[in-house]
Amino acid sequence: MSQSGSVKLHSEPALSRSSMLVGWSEDAGNLGEEVTEYLNRALRGHEFGEVDPQSFFPLSGVAVRKDVARVPESKFFVCPSHAIVIFRSDPPRSEWYGFLDSVLDVAEHHCHSEQLYILGAMVSFSAHTAPRQLFVVANSAEAKEGLSQYDLVTDMDYQTPPGQRPTLNSYLLWIAKGRRISGVSLWIPIPFYLVAAEDPQAKKKALLFFNDRLNLKMDLSDLDREIQDQNEKLARARSRSTEIDDYIRRLEGNLMLTDEENRELIRKIEQALSEEG
Amino acid sequence: MGIKLYREPRIENPVLVASWPGIGNIGIIAVDALRQIFEAEEFAEIEPWHFFYPKRVLIRNGVLESMEFPTSKFYISRVGSKDLILFIGEEQPGEGVRAYAAGKKAYRMANLVLDVAERFRCERIYTSGAAVALTHHTMKPRVWAVPNTERLLQEVGEYQNAILMSDIEGRGGQGNITGLNGLLLGVARKRGVDAVCLMGETPVYLQGLPVSYPKASKSVLGVLGQCLGIQVSLHGLDEMEREVERAVEEFYRQLPSEMREQLDRLKPAPYAEPGDLGPITEDEERRIMEDVERFFKEGGQGD
Repeated sequence: MSQSGSVKLHSEPALSRSSMLVGWSEDAGNLGEEVTEYLNRALRGHEFGEVDPQSFFPLSGVAVRKDVARVPESKFFVCPSHAIVIFRSDPPRSEWYGFLDSVLDVAEHHCHSEQLYILGAMVSFSAHTAPRQLFVVANSAEAKEGLSQYDLVTDMDYQTPPGQRPTLNSYLLWIAKGRRISGVSLWIPIPFYLVAAEDPQAKKKALLFFNDRLNLKMDLSDLDREIQDQNEKLARARSRSTEIDDYIRRLEGNLMLTDEENRELIRKIEQALSEEG
Repeated sequence: MGIKLYREPRIENPVLVASWPGIGNIGIIAVDALRQIFEAEEFAEIEPWHFFYPKRVLIRNGVLESMEFPTSKFYISRVGSKDLILFIGEEQPGEGVRAYAAGKKAYRMANLVLDVAERFRCERIYTSGAAVALTHHTMKPRVWAVPNTERLLQEVGEYQNAILMSDIEGRGGQGNITGLNGLLLGVARKRGVDAVCLMGETPVYLQGLPVSYPKASKSVLGVLGQCLGIQVSLHGLDEMEREVERAVEEFYRQLPSEMREQLDRLKPAPYAEPGDLGPITEDEERRIMEDVERFFKEGGQGD
């Protein structure tokens, strides 16, 4: 075991080169956790290190998730057969630079990562029936090269609006740029009424990209069943409630709902999905 | 983590004037006015990464082009025979959601500013902020002066329109200066550097408003001019002062009439007449503070 600053490595991954994938817990639609868990399972990843939480989280108690108490976790996994390193973490609450720099220390010095992929979800005001898109932001023109062959939106323009701050993903991408690590952040819009639930369509979109890009040869057919299952649940919710159906129909027609209607749709969908189990 | 020096200016025994944002942005407006008046040139900055979360990202055609952080910059200017170093911190480095600096980051930043002060052999440091006071917005704000050594008490007490904490009734020379405008004084004392904080009075009923208060910045500049032995033209702040004055008058008119009557008593009385209510008592002072606090908590609805 080695310890350097805030990082504890239980073992040294034997990789001469690798790609690092980053996903966050508490992401919209639970996307970061869902995708990294899927990859770990499919590629037989195992944990090899973690970031100690004490400098980055308030630790003023414990959070309870799915009935279980837990402290913030920031873990590294390695999938040796595919030269992939996965970092899954709760988003840090302070000392962001130190945290993100530590993650890149592991990527650069212990895993020899040449490429960084940072996954994130963004809230969308479209209906779940619209196809998911995958937006990409690269940290250099070179990092963007070679991405045009995938089904991606690669021409995004964006500037942080007044009163808001950049995302942690953009921050990590920028630090990677300073360290000359080629990186891209991947953004998948999640329908706003599925933010607190899960969005298997978004999960599949991300995994399809990784499958192609990193030549993982994963069989993703199980995700079609998940998607079909959720679509059926949402269809039943629509058929049971004319209000839900009306809201979603308007979204499908590219119409905006009022703030109150948005809140109402979220509440009704959460209730419907929870009743379905 | 440290200081990025763009060039090594040749300066002799300069004075450093530093400020970070706070209530009414009184100090920061004053220091920025000095920067503009004396055409001070940027020569160093404190690297932001360990202190701040970025404030803006620019993405163009799918490529991340730049990331901006709050700045903490040093400027230099020669004013008459005196070298002046100005420091402007765009934000106070905080731990979590506090608007004011606290804890390790604040202490680290204060020490970095002191590193620059010592490197160039600064003979004195001034900081500036707000003093929330029972005063009326139609009055000229006084400047509360707090030195970090007893040796300076007499000197700062002699400046026109400046008062010491002990001159304020009921304070007994006690008080707190929140954030880095205060902490820098303490760290300077620890490192044997003389420092003074100049705080422009801001009316208690304006402290919750998101407006600047340039009137108090002018008072600070008036005292600072005396401290440095230089003439500071205050006209550059006139337009901003007039705009704020209009907004404050509008806000004042919307206050409940009962509260406004109480606050009107903070105005200077040119002469007293029989039946006048006289100066505000301690109980009334407490009530005014409570009323103002309640007013803001209830969303600021007047009658």
